[in-house]
Amino acid sequence: MNKLDGGLYQNQTTEKENQIGEEREAILACQAGNKKAYRYIVEKYKTRAYYAALMYTKNREDALDLSQEAFYRAFKAIQRFDAKRNFYTWFYKILKNICLNFIQFKKVRANSSDEFDETTMRPVDSSISRPDEIFEKNEQSEYIWKAIDSLNENDREIIILKEFDDMSYQEIADTLSIPIGSVMSRLFYARKKLLKKLEQIYE
Amino acid sequence: MSKNNPACEEARVLMMGLMDNELDENQKKKVLEHLASCEECAKQYKAFNNLKKETSEMKFTKLPEMYWDDYWDHVYNKLERGIAWIILSLGAILIFSYGAYEMTYEFFFDETISIFLRISIGIFSFGIIVLTVSVLREKLMIRHIDKYRSIKR
Repeated sequence: MNKLDGGLYQNQTTEKENQIGEEREAILACQAGNKKAYRYIVEKYKTRAYYAALMYTKNREDALDLSQEAFYRAFKAIQRFDAKRNFYTWFYKILKNICLNFIQFKKVRANSSDEFDETTMRPVDSSISRPDEIFEKNEQSEYIWKAIDSLNENDREIIILKEFDDMSYQEIADTLSIPIGSVMSRLFYARKKLLKKLEQIYE
Repeated sequence: MSKNNPACEEARVLMMGLMDNELDENQKKKVLEHLASCEECAKQYKAFNNLKKETSEMKFTKLPEMYWDDYWDHVYNKLERGIAWIILSLGAILIFSYGAYEMTYEFFFDETISIFLRISIGIFSFGIIVLTVSVLREKLMIRHIDKYRSIKR
C-alpha cells in the first residue's frame, strides 16, 4: 500500500467509524423515544429495504408499503434492539417476516378468489413476477432473474442477500443465524443450482 | 472435481469465499493451490465467476425520485398514528369505564325504579357479559390453533 493509498484507506476507515458512531447515537436517541432521530436510520437503509422487499413482492407499490411498515414495526420494537449489533441484519428479519406474511396472505386470497385465469382456470395470482419492475429491461437480466425466481426459498434468499443486497458473510450469518462455514456451503449449492437452471433456460 | 475427494469438497466451499473476497491469506493460498492442480474444480470456479459477473451487471430499476422524497414522511406518519391510536384507545377505555360505573351506580341504587326492572336489567347485562366473554374466548382459541393466524396485512 503506497502513501496515497494508505491515506485514502485511513480516511475511508475513519468515515466508516463515524457512520457507525452516528448510527449508534441515532438508535440510542430512538430508544429514548426521539422519533425524529429515526430519520437517520430510515434514510440510510430505505434503498436496501425497498429492494429487499421488491425481491419478495415483485411489485413496486407493495415493496414501498411493506418496507415502510417494516421501519414502523422496527421502531416499535427498538427497545429490544442491542445498539452494539448491526441494525440492518436485525431489521431484515422483521422485513422478511412482513413480506412472507404478505405473500401468504395473497396466496390465500388468490385461492379463495372468484377470479380465474381463462386459459389455465387457475386462480389469478397478482404476485406474478414482472422483471422490469425489479431490474432494468435486459434479456440477460430477465433470464437470470427467472432462474433465481425458480429456486427454492432458501437458495433464492442466500443468493439475493449476497449478490443483490451485497451483505458480507458475517452479515448473512447473523441474518440467517447460521455459522459462516454454512454460509459458504449454502452459497455453493445455491449457485450450483442456479447455474443448472440457467443451462436449462438457455437450452 | 471428484465427488468424494476431501480436497475438492473443501475447495468447493472455499472457492465461494475466494470469489466473494472473504478468505484470509492462508485459506486463499490453499484454494488457489487446489485450483491450480484440479482441472474440474478450476472449471467450476470459472463458471461461478462468470455467473457472479453476470449478476453484478444486473441493475435495479430506479424508483422515481418522488417516491424517495415522500418515504420518510410515510414512515413518520405511521409512527405518529401508532402512538395516537394507543392514546385514543386508552382514553376510550377510561371514558367507557367511568360511564359504565356511573350508569350502573345510578341505575341499581335508584329506588324510584322498580326492583323487578332493576333485577331484569341486571340479569340481561350479566347474560351479555357472559356471551361476550365466551365469544372472545372462542376467538382467542381459534387464533391459537389457526395455522393462518400469522397472516397479517
